[in-house]
Amino acid sequence: MTAESDGRLLERVRAGDREAYALLVDRYQDRLGRYAVRMLGNQADAEEALQDTFVRAFRSLANCTRPEGFGAWVFGILVNRCRTYAARRIRADGIIVTNDDAVGRAAVPHSEERDAIRDAIGWALGQLPAEQREAFLLKHVEDLSYDSMEAMTGVRAASLRMRVFRAREELRKLLAETVRD
Amino acid sequence: MTESRDPLDSLIETLKEPVRLRPDLTRRVMAAIADDPAMATEHKPVRWWRREWTIRVTPVRLLATAAGLAGLVVTGQFLFRPAVKPASSVAGSEASNRLTQFVLVAPEAAAVTLVGDFNDWNVGATPLVRSVGDGVWSVTVPLAPGRYRYAFVVNGTVWRGDPEAPGLEDDFGQPNSVVTIGGA
Repeated sequence: MTAESDGRLLERVRAGDREAYALLVDRYQDRLGRYAVRMLGNQADAEEALQDTFVRAFRSLANCTRPEGFGAWVFGILVNRCRTYAARRIRADGIIVTNDDAVGRAAVPHSEERDAIRDAIGWALGQLPAEQREAFLLKHVEDLSYDSMEAMTGVRAASLRMRVFRAREELRKLLAETVRD
Repeated sequence: MTESRDPLDSLIETLKEPVRLRPDLTRRVMAAIADDPAMATEHKPVRWWRREWTIRVTPVRLLATAAGLAGLVVTGQFLFRPAVKPASSVAGSEASNRLTQFVLVAPEAAAVTLVGDFNDWNVGATPLVRSVGDGVWSVTVPLAPGRYRYAFVVNGTVWRGDPEAPGLEDDFGQPNSVVTIGGA
């Protein structure tokens, strides 16, 4: 059976079928959840941001002018919600994010070595400034084009390229440190 | 022979692995939607926004606003001026909303949109309309009483705050402005 397209599901939602919205949530929660967890480095915050995103998206469905682009549109809302949650964390804790549990806990365990690598990756990712982490994740984990990233974040492509470049350089340096240690 | 793999490739591969979320996310989202008073009527947001989209500022009003801003125009600079005008109430259940006009003098711009807390910072959601023959862009948005951060996006890429309005930088160094809509 062929799954209904996003556009068709949105039509159903707009016609009063809320269950169709549940199907959209099911469809996108894994990908969006991965981004939120990686970005915020905290499972509880990520899940709260994700729920908040889907609720806000429902309230704003009229703004989704291209129904087949629902995924990108809701992703853009999540990116902004993550910015807000990250800022809240800064205000609350005085740190950018913690990475103590999310990446390591969320990923599928394979071996001690793999867990150690995962911990190192989580730690390194958490050291990046939020804007670099955001750009890096969107580019390399979500495989978005710079045009899509620009539309989603409101940041110029040239700036995004620079952020990704700096993130890559910083991550190389940080990973090298973990190897030396 | 030692395999020399870019450590960043391993990092990216790991980050692409799925995460485990609470299995009841969809249920919680649907419950939140159902409990939200704003969701009491099906499609209310859709109709609400569509209805408001039909509100357009007349050229005369735009020109009047432009005249008010004329003293603020600086050569070579975009100037932004949110004209916060609780001009009239929205009929019906949105009676407490205030029609808030955002105006930008940007003769060089090919497109201008408004982003803010009220539209989830969606760059494509709220385009400004350019009046014929001048560089005045505007849009009127119904806003409930409250404090909102916002910015203009020129030509889809350049974020601009409003030098005349209270402003702040967001977490990413982008300029934001703040507008406060008075209570009902």
